[in-house]
Amino acid sequence: MSTNSTAILNRTATDADLADPALVKLRDLIYRISGIFHAENKFYLLALRSRRRMQIIGSNAFTDYFDQLTTRANRDVEMRNLLNEITIGETYFFSGQPTIDAVSKIILPKIVPLPGKQAVKKVRVWSAGCSTGEESYTLSILFLEQIAPKFKYWKIEIVATDLSDDSLVKCREGLYPEYSVRNLSPQMREKYFKQEGPLYRIKDVVRAPIKFDRLNLQDQTKMLFMKGFDLVFCANVLIYFDSAAKKRTVEHFYNGLVPGGHFFLGECETLFGIYDQFRLVHFPGSTGYHKPVPGEDAGGKK
Amino acid sequence: MNPETSKMQQRRVSELRSLPVLPSILQSLGTCLSASPGDMNIDRIVELISYDKSLAAQCLRVANSAMFTRRAEVESVRQAVLALGVQRIRDIVYSCSLPKPFAGSEQGMAQSTFWRHALGTALVSENLAHRLKVADIEKLYLAGLPCDIGILVNSLLYPEDFQRVLEQAQASETPLCEVEQQVLGFTHCESGRILADIWKLPPDISETIEFHHHPSGELADVEMTCVVYLADLLCRLRGLGYGYYEAREFDLAAEIPWQVLKKKHPDTAAGLDLARFTFELDQYGVEVQTMVDSIFSNGSGPH
Repeated sequence: MSTNSTAILNRTATDADLADPALVKLRDLIYRISGIFHAENKFYLLALRSRRRMQIIGSNAFTDYFDQLTTRANRDVEMRNLLNEITIGETYFFSGQPTIDAVSKIILPKIVPLPGKQAVKKVRVWSAGCSTGEESYTLSILFLEQIAPKFKYWKIEIVATDLSDDSLVKCREGLYPEYSVRNLSPQMREKYFKQEGPLYRIKDVVRAPIKFDRLNLQDQTKMLFMKGFDLVFCANVLIYFDSAAKKRTVEHFYNGLVPGGHFFLGECETLFGIYDQFRLVHFPGSTGYHKPVPGEDAGGKK
Repeated sequence: MNPETSKMQQRRVSELRSLPVLPSILQSLGTCLSASPGDMNIDRIVELISYDKSLAAQCLRVANSAMFTRRAEVESVRQAVLALGVQRIRDIVYSCSLPKPFAGSEQGMAQSTFWRHALGTALVSENLAHRLKVADIEKLYLAGLPCDIGILVNSLLYPEDFQRVLEQAQASETPLCEVEQQVLGFTHCESGRILADIWKLPPDISETIEFHHHPSGELADVEMTCVVYLADLLCRLRGLGYGYYEAREFDLAAEIPWQVLKKKHPDTAAGLDLARFTFELDQYGVEVQTMVDSIFSNGSGPH
């Protein structure tokens, strides 16, 4: 979310909406169902996004909307619509700067010197639920910018999967509007994109390390083959799953990671109460999950 | 201690005479504000705040700020005390008075950065204590607020050396303590303790100042120090730090202070979603900014 659009949204959430106790109930319901948590400083976003859905279905008050989400026959459909609304617009290049910094400044520099890595010289990443590809291409650019110049002969391999064929077509096409690249400097755009009229097409050097594939995260057999990753990203996908499916999926991510690997959810998602083998780790401005190395002491991650 | 450090330590102690004094208002008001609810003398609190014109003005400014949206404007100190409650007034009194002795020290860490971290640590300490159901929650704010006061002491007494500490810490993205130890031979924890003793702060608070980066089991109030340790760390991780990027990964649940607290409060600790707690802390950013803007408004700093 850019500062500008945040400011615009902020103006449209009224004080009465923000003070409505039903908004807190709504927040807690979303947290319970999806694992997305809106802190008070994000209430205006929650209010605004709920209002958008309420307008569509003709609901006027948060209490009524809460009922729609809990007691009405079509509650599951509406919850899905609301979650779509909540996570919309979060895919653009270099969104989630704190996580990008954690990966480039803390995690990648630690992976590269590992003794076991010297023979292969490869960092493997899985973007699970890659949507329209911005995250995967961002990681590829990040590697080219930060790691490749410092560590010769190193490569990154990114497996980007999604359930939607439409999304995968867009990923492969790699053609983005100005909005998607707004966080990139003119130099970076010039270096990694080819301008085609008002659109930006990703260059081959960024595309090369990425393999796009269709994968259903509920496909237990295929999930077993996803192995040997240093990093797994899965933002705003688990929120649509029930708790059993969440647990099953996260367990696959855990097994797919090498010991010492890291797992990242969306910005406000938490794994609490879902799967306890991962260790929650804090980076400046972001949180992630760490798969311990066998024999690693608690606290061995200083 | 090697001879070099020992020499420096001696020099430091001799220089401490030039250290700031605890604002007198805190000596008298502090006692009033810490009284138990039954013994609280509101008239006396209002009177003491009114003596200090700049403090009274700051109370009104905070009471009228966007943080506490009210229907009618708060115009008197009495109204401010009643509207905000004694606890918030206490927070304002401390956070507006404590920076005063350090006004005018231009070197080192920016005052606004320092006080954002201090207020953040105070609020997060209080909140974490509340979540874990640690006894004496009120005290946690007062323990968190001055825990890094030694940074100001170092800025004041060793402006050039401390500037170098900050530059090195920023360049290497490492924790301040480590660089202080390398460059100065001691850390802000030790300088802070010396000031706390001169100011005759309560022993448990002085101890927290000294040990908040490395709590040990023998402390009088180990829980307090552990809570402040975690609050300080969380603030540094959520944009209320020392003003630079610390390239580190923390497993909070594996930190010894968390384990100490977990052992003492197993139920509340097990029920705390640390990720969610972290997201919640971001709301303090706004509150802390309002308070710091109020203290340093018009660029004049504390008077």
